[in-house]
Amino acid sequence: MTGTEDTQTSYEGSFGAKEAEAIVKESVDATIGGEDYNKDQVNKWTAAILERCISDLCKLGKQYKYIVTCAVTQKTGAGLHAANSCFWDTALDGSCTVKWENRTMYCIVSVFALSIA
Amino acid sequence: MDEFQAEDETTFVVEEVSKIIKESVEATIGGNTYQHNRVNQWTTNVVEQCLSQLSKLGKPFKYIVTCVIMQKNGAGLQTANACFWDNTTDGSCAVRWENKSMYCIVTVFGLAI
Repeated sequence: MTGTEDTQTSYEGSFGAKEAEAIVKESVDATIGGEDYNKDQVNKWTAAILERCISDLCKLGKQYKYIVTCAVTQKTGAGLHAANSCFWDTALDGSCTVKWENRTMYCIVSVFALSIA
Repeated sequence: MDEFQAEDETTFVVEEVSKIIKESVEATIGGNTYQHNRVNQWTTNVVEQCLSQLSKLGKPFKYIVTCVIMQKNGAGLQTANACFWDNTTDGSCAVRWENKSMYCIVTVFGLAI
């Protein structure tokens, strides 16, 4: 096995964050698990991760609009900081951010779910 | 004429939002050099300022603001978004800003209530 793959997650809100986390992890592992950072492929990877996440989230059949963001960055020692702020219904809406890494890159995926009902 | 005005008050206007983002970024990090111990405060300030200006617009929208700041040292960074929403009423705006030492990418998503 080449390199370790770690994840950490943070949740906010009352929507099914655990389900979203599982969907994100599967999507990232399936797309870039075991790969090394490759600038020619990274475009395709982020698109593939997003498509799969959105499609699996919609299959949950819940009354939500979704926004999924994905950032992949090469490990070269550069500092990277990401922040989100949301103006929403705190009782119904929620988010889930998953930080994933392997030997050569970091991947940060955030899912925001906004209730339609 | 009245109908046109009403539409402006309930749609996501990209230029307006783009202006708000640029002002927030300039005010927070314009002229600064990347500093590891301050970047946390910077990203927080950028998103908070954006959100506060957006909510002052008084439109019937929920907002999500994301901000990424990255040091310039040659590393590759790719960001992408996908949205499952109502195409007729919702919208987003992304602004990419940079100076000599860092990149800052801010994205605002507006979803009609």
